[in-house]
Amino acid sequence: MSHESTKATIEVIGLRKRFGPQPALDGMTFTVRPGRVTGFVGPNGAGKSTTMRVILGLDTAEEGKALVGGVPYRTLRRPLRHLGALLDASALQPSRTARHHLLWLAHSQGLPARRVDEVIEQAGLGTAARRRAGGFSLGMRQRLGIAAALLGDPPVVMLDEPFNGLDPDGIVWMRGLLAELARQGRAVLVSSHLMSELEDTADHLVVIGHGRVIADTSVSQLLAEASGGRVTLRTSAPARAAQVLHGAGAITVATGPDTLTITGLPDAETVALLARNGVPFSQVSTHRATLEEAYLELTRDTVQYRGIPAPEATR
Amino acid sequence: MNPLGSTRLADTANGAWHVTFTHTLHAEWTKLRTAGDTGRLLLLTITLTVAVGCGTAKAVKCPDTGCGQDPVKLALTGITVGQAVIAVLAVLAISNEYGTGMIRTTLTAVPNRLTVLAAKATVLTTVVLASGTAAVLASLLAGRCVLPGNGFTAAHGYAPLTLADGPTLRAAAGSVLYLALIALLALGTATAVRDAASAIATVLGLLYLFPILTQVVNNPHWQHRLQQISPMTAGLAVQATVHLRERPIGPWAGLGVLATWAATALMTGSLLLHARDT
Repeated sequence: MSHESTKATIEVIGLRKRFGPQPALDGMTFTVRPGRVTGFVGPNGAGKSTTMRVILGLDTAEEGKALVGGVPYRTLRRPLRHLGALLDASALQPSRTARHHLLWLAHSQGLPARRVDEVIEQAGLGTAARRRAGGFSLGMRQRLGIAAALLGDPPVVMLDEPFNGLDPDGIVWMRGLLAELARQGRAVLVSSHLMSELEDTADHLVVIGHGRVIADTSVSQLLAEASGGRVTLRTSAPARAAQVLHGAGAITVATGPDTLTITGLPDAETVALLARNGVPFSQVSTHRATLEEAYLELTRDTVQYRGIPAPEATR
Repeated sequence: MNPLGSTRLADTANGAWHVTFTHTLHAEWTKLRTAGDTGRLLLLTITLTVAVGCGTAKAVKCPDTGCGQDPVKLALTGITVGQAVIAVLAVLAISNEYGTGMIRTTLTAVPNRLTVLAAKATVLTTVVLASGTAAVLASLLAGRCVLPGNGFTAAHGYAPLTLADGPTLRAAAGSVLYLALIALLALGTATAVRDAASAIATVLGLLYLFPILTQVVNNPHWQHRLQQISPMTAGLAVQATVHLRERPIGPWAGLGVLATWAATALMTGSLLLHARDT
């Protein structure tokens, strides 16, 4: 399946919105493109859910606009055929069965009941579909929410914290599903407040804080930047190693009794320099940042609700 | 049916509004049908209405000619109780969605909020008209069986209850319409205040406090005025079949007062629903 590229986009352009004196969205701007999973990351309260509600026309922005396939969501005739969204998996009437929940949604879009059975299968709900949704675990509700999002076979899929409440099996399933949706040419936007959830899932990242975008970049580029060319050295003579390295213009930080983190000197030159000066060492490795570290670096100044900082440990 | 894939991407804003409305109606009907408590509440409405009507007919005697009782109104007394269940049903039709957050899913599926409210109102009115008709007919039938035994006989100037009688037919049809208007009043109120408990309290307060207030007020002029604008007292004037001239308001004019209340509630609900973030 392929999707006409202009239809499979979300464009968010200069959104501004206040809740009281606090700006919730402060010039939010980004584009979600087809054929890849875009991670939408930021601390709690950064504006992820508000942005998604504005995209869906549930909330109005004071300034700016949000377009789905080039048009405002509220002008779409059968919107679930253009954008499938999962906002809050628990937003169900508990007395209705999962199948009936999907059935009224299908009817609202003029879709046949056959389509309901297809997405029940796709979401792995199976026999649970005829049970009351009120008795579902959060993981089951997430699956039901996914089924609802896929009902209209939309070119754009938008999921708010879809990993919440999933067991390990569910997480693997969700990752596979997101990759598959992107492979089919759909634009996929997935929010999370945990970068680690997106590490193996997202191709592209929109990192936000305080209602605006602070990084809009590919995952590989973000990792490269965050790693910053640091080298980790393990040696039985750290003091002597530091002395030699300083002489070559490198900066060292002791990060353990026998480890140094070096900046300003590539790993190959470090090895050559130490060998020439007879400094013993057991390991030289390029420091590779995790996505989590890169994210913490980016959002350091934007976290609204922070605990007491832990003492600076290893670096 | 639209085959998936081929026409999906092309159907932006080119369908007529009535197509959207038909789909929304279908969706709202499915919702109401599968809500779990709809059938039970409608059955409760019918049972309560008939039981209270029957009990009242049994309790009131007409020992002599000119006892002044209104047999049709007596048989239909149950409406004053059945309306409370209808109000609860109508409030839950939207407040349940606010309570669970499902309203967001609804407005995501149908972004035009007035379409959603219109569809809810249509579906609700339909089921209330159907169950209201059943309740009214059963009440009249019960009255027809019970009342003659209590002195409502031809000798005392009362013919058996029958829909062939003009005023009786008007009282019956009017009572069904009364229930539908109560449903719309409750739906509009619930759309405006969102929370189920507040909406039910507001509607029941509006219905039952007015008559109590009327009893408390001493000034006959104000008493008369209050009776004319009270949604329940004015609305139920449509049930009167005797002494019409002594009533504070005429049968259809009274139902018109209730319709005005319902329209005001729906209008307020629409405006708030349209303007609010969800």
